[in-house]
Amino acid sequence: MQLWLWFSVLALVLWGISGITQKLATNRITSERSFLWFCFAMVALSAVVMLIVHLNWGLGRLVVISAIAGGALNGLGAWTSFRALESGGKASIVISLVSLYPLLTVLLAVAILGERLTGLQTMGAFTAITAAILLSVETSAQT
Amino acid sequence: MLPRRIPKWLMWSLLTIVLWGTWGLVSKIASTGVDAYMNQLLYTAGLAPLMVFVAVTVHREEGKLSANRNSGIFWAFLTGILGGVGNIAFFQALVKGGKASVVAPVTALFPMVTVLLALMFLKEKLGRTQWLGLALAFVAIYMLSA
Repeated sequence: MQLWLWFSVLALVLWGISGITQKLATNRITSERSFLWFCFAMVALSAVVMLIVHLNWGLGRLVVISAIAGGALNGLGAWTSFRALESGGKASIVISLVSLYPLLTVLLAVAILGERLTGLQTMGAFTAITAAILLSVETSAQT
Repeated sequence: MLPRRIPKWLMWSLLTIVLWGTWGLVSKIASTGVDAYMNQLLYTAGLAPLMVFVAVTVHREEGKLSANRNSGIFWAFLTGILGGVGNIAFFQALVKGGKASVVAPVTALFPMVTVLLALMFLKEKLGRTQWLGLALAFVAIYMLSA
Protein backbone atom coordinates (compact mmCIF):
# COMPACT_ATOMS: atom_id res chain seq x y z
CA MET A 1 0.00 0.00 0.00
CA GLN A 2 1.45 3.35 -1.03
CA LEU A 3 2.33 5.88 1.66
CA TRP A 4 0.01 8.58 0.35
CA LEU A 5 -2.89 6.11 0.62
CA TRP A 6 -2.12 5.33 4.27
CA PHE A 7 -2.25 9.04 5.06
CA SER A 8 -5.45 9.44 3.03
CA VAL A 9 -7.16 6.65 4.98
CA LEU A 10 -5.95 8.16 8.27
CA ALA A 11 -7.48 11.51 7.27
CA LEU A 12 -10.69 9.71 6.26
CA VAL A 13 -11.00 8.03 9.68
CA LEU A 14 -10.23 11.17 11.69
CA TRP A 15 -12.59 13.34 9.65
CA GLY A 16 -15.24 10.61 9.88
CA ILE A 17 -15.05 10.68 13.68
CA SER A 18 -15.13 14.48 13.63
CA GLY A 19 -18.44 14.30 11.74
CA ILE A 20 -19.96 12.80 14.89
CA THR A 21 -18.25 15.15 17.35
CA GLN A 22 -19.36 18.09 15.20
CA LYS A 23 -22.98 16.98 15.46
CA LEU A 24 -22.63 16.41 19.22
CA ALA A 25 -21.27 19.95 19.54
CA THR A 26 -24.00 21.64 17.49
CA ASN A 27 -26.65 19.71 19.45
CA ARG A 28 -25.48 21.60 22.55
CA ILE A 29 -24.13 25.00 21.44
CA THR A 30 -24.58 27.31 18.45
CA SER A 31 -22.70 26.71 15.22
CA GLU A 32 -20.75 29.95 15.77
CA ARG A 33 -19.56 28.89 19.21
CA SER A 34 -18.76 25.40 17.89
CA PHE A 35 -16.72 26.90 15.09
CA LEU A 36 -14.87 29.19 17.47
CA TRP A 37 -13.78 26.28 19.64
CA PHE A 38 -12.95 24.31 16.51
CA CYS A 39 -10.57 27.19 15.63
CA PHE A 40 -9.14 27.32 19.16
CA ALA A 41 -8.31 23.63 18.79
CA MET A 42 -6.57 24.36 15.48
CA VAL A 43 -4.50 27.11 17.15
CA ALA A 44 -3.62 24.77 20.03
CA LEU A 45 -2.60 22.06 17.56
CA SER A 46 -0.48 24.54 15.60
CA ALA A 47 1.25 25.62 18.82
CA VAL A 48 2.08 21.98 19.57
CA VAL A 49 3.38 21.53 16.01
CA MET A 50 5.62 24.60 16.40
CA LEU A 51 7.02 23.17 19.64
CA ILE A 52 7.75 19.63 18.50
CA VAL A 53 8.46 19.89 14.76
CA HIS A 54 11.43 21.58 13.09
CA LEU A 55 9.79 23.88 10.55
CA ASN A 56 11.29 25.20 7.33
CA TRP A 57 10.45 28.91 7.02
CA GLY A 58 12.05 29.47 3.59
CA LEU A 59 8.90 29.35 1.53
CA GLY A 60 7.79 30.63 -1.86
CA ARG A 61 5.06 33.24 -2.13
CA LEU A 62 2.65 31.04 -4.11
CA VAL A 63 2.75 28.15 -1.65
CA VAL A 64 2.29 30.48 1.32
CA ILE A 65 -0.70 32.18 -0.32
CA SER A 66 -2.15 28.79 -1.32
CA ALA A 67 -1.75 27.33 2.16
CA ILE A 68 -3.30 30.38 3.85
CA ALA A 69 -6.11 30.43 1.27
CA GLY A 70 -6.61 26.75 2.06
CA GLY A 71 -7.21 27.58 5.71
CA ALA A 72 -9.66 30.34 4.81
CA LEU A 73 -11.57 28.15 2.33
CA ASN A 74 -11.72 25.13 4.59
CA GLY A 75 -12.58 27.28 7.60
CA LEU A 76 -15.45 28.89 5.74
CA GLY A 77 -16.49 25.42 4.60
CA ALA A 78 -16.47 24.15 8.17
CA TRP A 79 -18.52 27.15 9.25
CA THR A 80 -21.08 26.64 6.47
CA SER A 81 -21.27 22.94 7.33
CA PHE A 82 -22.01 23.92 10.94
CA ARG A 83 -24.75 26.19 9.63
CA ALA A 84 -26.14 23.31 7.56
CA LEU A 85 -26.35 21.12 10.66
CA GLU A 86 -27.86 23.91 12.72
CA SER A 87 -30.42 24.62 10.00
CA GLY A 88 -31.99 21.21 10.52
CA GLY A 89 -29.87 18.88 8.41
CA LYS A 90 -29.23 15.45 9.93
CA ALA A 91 -25.58 14.60 10.50
CA SER A 92 -25.66 11.59 8.20
CA ILE A 93 -27.24 13.62 5.36
CA VAL A 94 -25.23 16.84 5.61
CA ILE A 95 -21.88 15.12 6.12
CA SER A 96 -22.56 12.76 3.23
CA LEU A 97 -23.75 15.54 0.93
CA VAL A 98 -20.82 17.86 1.53
CA SER A 99 -18.49 14.95 0.82
CA LEU A 100 -19.34 15.53 -2.84
CA TYR A 101 -16.74 18.31 -2.84
CA PRO A 102 -14.06 16.09 -4.47
CA LEU A 103 -16.04 16.23 -7.70
CA LEU A 104 -15.08 19.90 -7.89
CA THR A 105 -11.52 19.14 -6.77
CA VAL A 106 -11.12 16.52 -9.51
CA LEU A 107 -12.41 18.95 -12.15
CA LEU A 108 -10.13 21.75 -10.94
CA ALA A 109 -7.09 19.48 -10.59
CA VAL A 110 -7.52 18.16 -14.12
CA ALA A 111 -8.25 21.60 -15.61
CA ILE A 112 -5.70 23.69 -13.69
CA LEU A 113 -2.98 21.30 -12.49
CA GLY A 114 -3.14 19.07 -15.57
CA GLU A 115 -3.50 15.91 -13.47
CA ARG A 116 -4.45 12.78 -15.37
CA LEU A 117 -6.27 9.77 -13.93
CA THR A 118 -6.11 6.19 -15.19
CA GLY A 119 -9.35 4.61 -16.36
CA LEU A 120 -9.65 2.66 -13.11
CA GLN A 121 -9.00 5.76 -11.00
CA THR A 122 -11.62 7.72 -12.95
CA MET A 123 -14.12 4.93 -12.27
CA GLY A 124 -12.98 4.97 -8.66
CA ALA A 125 -13.60 8.71 -8.35
CA PHE A 126 -17.14 8.31 -9.67
CA THR A 127 -17.68 5.24 -7.48
CA ALA A 128 -16.55 7.26 -4.46
CA ILE A 129 -18.98 10.05 -5.27
CA THR A 130 -21.76 7.51 -5.89
CA ALA A 131 -20.94 5.89 -2.54
CA ALA A 132 -21.22 9.27 -0.81
CA ILE A 133 -24.60 9.89 -2.46
CA LEU A 134 -25.89 6.44 -1.48
CA LEU A 135 -24.76 7.01 2.08
CA SER A 136 -27.10 10.02 2.20
CA VAL A 137 -30.08 8.83 0.09
CA GLU A 138 -31.59 6.26 2.47
CA THR A 139 -31.58 8.60 5.43
CA SER A 140 -33.09 11.38 3.29
CA ALA A 141 -36.01 9.12 2.46
CA GLN A 142 -36.55 8.31 6.12
CA THR A 143 -36.62 11.95 7.16
CA MET B 1 -44.25 24.41 -12.23
CA LEU B 2 -42.22 26.43 -9.74
CA PRO B 3 -39.35 24.64 -8.02
CA ARG B 4 -39.78 23.94 -4.31
CA ARG B 5 -37.91 26.28 -1.98
CA ILE B 6 -34.41 24.96 -1.31
CA PRO B 7 -33.95 24.25 2.41
CA LYS B 8 -31.37 26.39 4.20
CA TRP B 9 -29.33 23.38 5.25
CA LEU B 10 -29.03 22.35 1.60
CA MET B 11 -27.85 25.83 0.57
CA TRP B 12 -25.19 25.79 3.29
CA SER B 13 -24.19 22.27 2.24
CA LEU B 14 -23.78 23.27 -1.43
CA LEU B 15 -21.67 26.28 -0.44
CA THR B 16 -19.53 23.93 1.64
CA ILE B 17 -18.93 21.78 -1.43
CA VAL B 18 -17.63 24.79 -3.39
CA LEU B 19 -15.35 25.94 -0.57
CA TRP B 20 -13.93 22.51 0.22
CA GLY B 21 -13.67 21.59 -3.46
CA THR B 22 -11.41 24.60 -4.04
CA TRP B 23 -9.51 23.83 -0.83
CA GLY B 24 -8.40 20.49 -2.35
CA LEU B 25 -6.87 22.36 -5.28
CA VAL B 26 -5.00 25.01 -3.30
CA SER B 27 -3.76 22.37 -0.83
CA LYS B 28 -2.11 20.48 -3.68
CA ILE B 29 -0.51 23.69 -4.96
CA ALA B 30 0.79 24.42 -1.44
CA SER B 31 2.09 20.88 -0.99
CA THR B 32 4.56 21.37 -3.84
CA GLY B 33 6.65 23.71 -1.66
CA VAL B 34 5.67 23.22 1.97
CA ASP B 35 5.59 20.23 4.32
CA ALA B 36 2.40 19.00 5.99
CA TYR B 37 3.14 20.63 9.37
CA MET B 38 3.92 24.07 7.94
CA ASN B 39 0.84 23.69 5.75
CA GLN B 40 -1.26 23.15 8.87
CA LEU B 41 0.35 26.19 10.50
CA LEU B 42 -0.41 28.43 7.50
CA TYR B 43 -3.85 26.89 7.26
CA THR B 44 -4.51 28.06 10.82
CA ALA B 45 -3.31 31.56 9.85
CA GLY B 46 -5.89 31.50 7.06
CA LEU B 47 -8.56 30.69 9.63
CA ALA B 48 -7.70 33.73 11.77
CA PRO B 49 -9.88 36.42 10.06
CA LEU B 50 -12.93 34.19 10.14
CA MET B 51 -12.13 33.26 13.73
CA VAL B 52 -12.16 36.94 14.75
CA PHE B 53 -15.43 37.52 12.90
CA VAL B 54 -17.09 34.55 14.58
CA ALA B 55 -15.68 35.52 17.99
CA VAL B 56 -17.41 38.91 17.72
CA THR B 57 -20.67 37.16 16.77
CA VAL B 58 -20.40 34.75 19.70
CA HIS B 59 -19.59 37.61 22.11
CA ARG B 60 -22.86 39.34 21.10
CA GLU B 61 -24.81 36.15 21.85
CA GLU B 62 -23.50 35.66 25.39
CA GLY B 63 -27.04 35.79 26.77
CA LYS B 64 -28.12 32.73 24.76
CA LEU B 65 -25.91 30.18 26.52
CA SER B 66 -27.41 26.73 26.94
CA ALA B 67 -27.14 24.46 29.96
CA ASN B 68 -25.01 22.06 27.88
CA ARG B 69 -22.41 24.72 27.09
CA ASN B 70 -19.37 22.95 28.55
CA SER B 71 -20.03 19.60 26.90
CA GLY B 72 -20.73 21.40 23.62
CA ILE B 73 -17.40 23.21 23.88
CA PHE B 74 -15.65 19.92 24.61
CA TRP B 75 -17.09 18.26 21.48
CA ALA B 76 -16.32 21.32 19.32
CA PHE B 77 -12.72 21.41 20.58
CA LEU B 78 -12.35 17.68 19.93
CA THR B 79 -13.73 18.25 16.42
CA GLY B 80 -10.97 20.80 15.85
CA ILE B 81 -8.24 18.45 17.09
CA LEU B 82 -9.53 15.56 14.98
CA GLY B 83 -9.96 17.85 12.00
CA GLY B 84 -6.49 19.34 12.42
CA VAL B 85 -4.70 16.01 12.73
CA GLY B 86 -6.79 14.80 9.79
CA ASN B 87 -5.60 17.85 7.85
CA ILE B 88 -1.96 16.97 8.55
CA ALA B 89 -2.59 13.43 7.27
CA PHE B 90 -4.32 14.91 4.20
CA PHE B 91 -1.38 17.27 3.54
CA GLN B 92 1.07 14.37 4.00
CA ALA B 93 -0.85 12.35 1.41
CA LEU B 94 -0.42 15.23 -1.07
CA VAL B 95 3.26 15.76 -0.18
CA LYS B 96 3.97 12.02 -0.55
CA GLY B 97 2.87 12.11 -4.19
CA GLY B 98 -0.89 11.64 -4.00
CA LYS B 99 -2.75 13.51 -6.75
CA ALA B 100 -5.39 16.00 -5.57
CA SER B 101 -7.82 14.31 -7.96
CA VAL B 102 -7.27 10.97 -6.17
CA VAL B 103 -6.60 11.97 -2.55
CA ALA B 104 -9.70 14.19 -2.41
CA PRO B 105 -12.13 11.43 -3.46
CA VAL B 106 -10.51 8.91 -1.08
CA THR B 107 -10.61 11.22 1.93
CA ALA B 108 -14.13 12.38 1.03
CA LEU B 109 -15.32 8.88 1.85
CA PHE B 110 -15.18 9.84 5.53
CA PRO B 111 -19.01 9.61 5.76
CA MET B 112 -18.55 5.84 5.83
CA VAL B 113 -16.97 6.30 9.26
CA THR B 114 -19.47 8.98 10.30
CA VAL B 115 -22.47 6.86 9.28
CA LEU B 116 -21.18 3.79 11.12
CA LEU B 117 -20.50 5.84 14.25
CA ALA B 118 -23.91 7.55 13.95
CA LEU B 119 -25.44 4.08 13.81
CA MET B 120 -23.58 2.95 16.93
CA PHE B 121 -23.65 6.07 19.09
CA LEU B 122 -26.41 8.39 17.83
CA LYS B 123 -28.88 5.52 17.18
CA GLU B 124 -29.47 6.73 13.61
CA LYS B 125 -30.90 4.10 11.25
CA LEU B 126 -28.75 2.58 8.49
CA GLY B 127 -30.76 1.45 5.46
CA ARG B 128 -29.94 -0.94 2.61
CA THR B 129 -28.86 1.90 0.33
CA GLN B 130 -26.39 3.12 2.92
CA TRP B 131 -24.99 -0.38 3.32
CA LEU B 132 -24.53 -0.42 -0.48
CA GLY B 133 -22.85 2.97 -0.20
CA LEU B 134 -20.47 1.59 2.39
CA ALA B 135 -19.61 -1.38 0.18
CA LEU B 136 -19.05 0.93 -2.79
CA ALA B 137 -16.84 3.15 -0.65
CA PHE B 138 -14.45 0.24 -0.08
CA VAL B 139 -14.51 -0.59 -3.81
CA ALA B 140 -13.80 3.05 -4.63
CA ILE B 141 -10.76 3.14 -2.32
CA TYR B 142 -9.41 0.02 -4.01
CA MET B 143 -9.94 1.48 -7.50
CA LEU B 144 -8.46 4.88 -6.62
CA SER B 145 -5.38 3.27 -5.08
CA ALA B 146 -4.61 1.34 -8.30
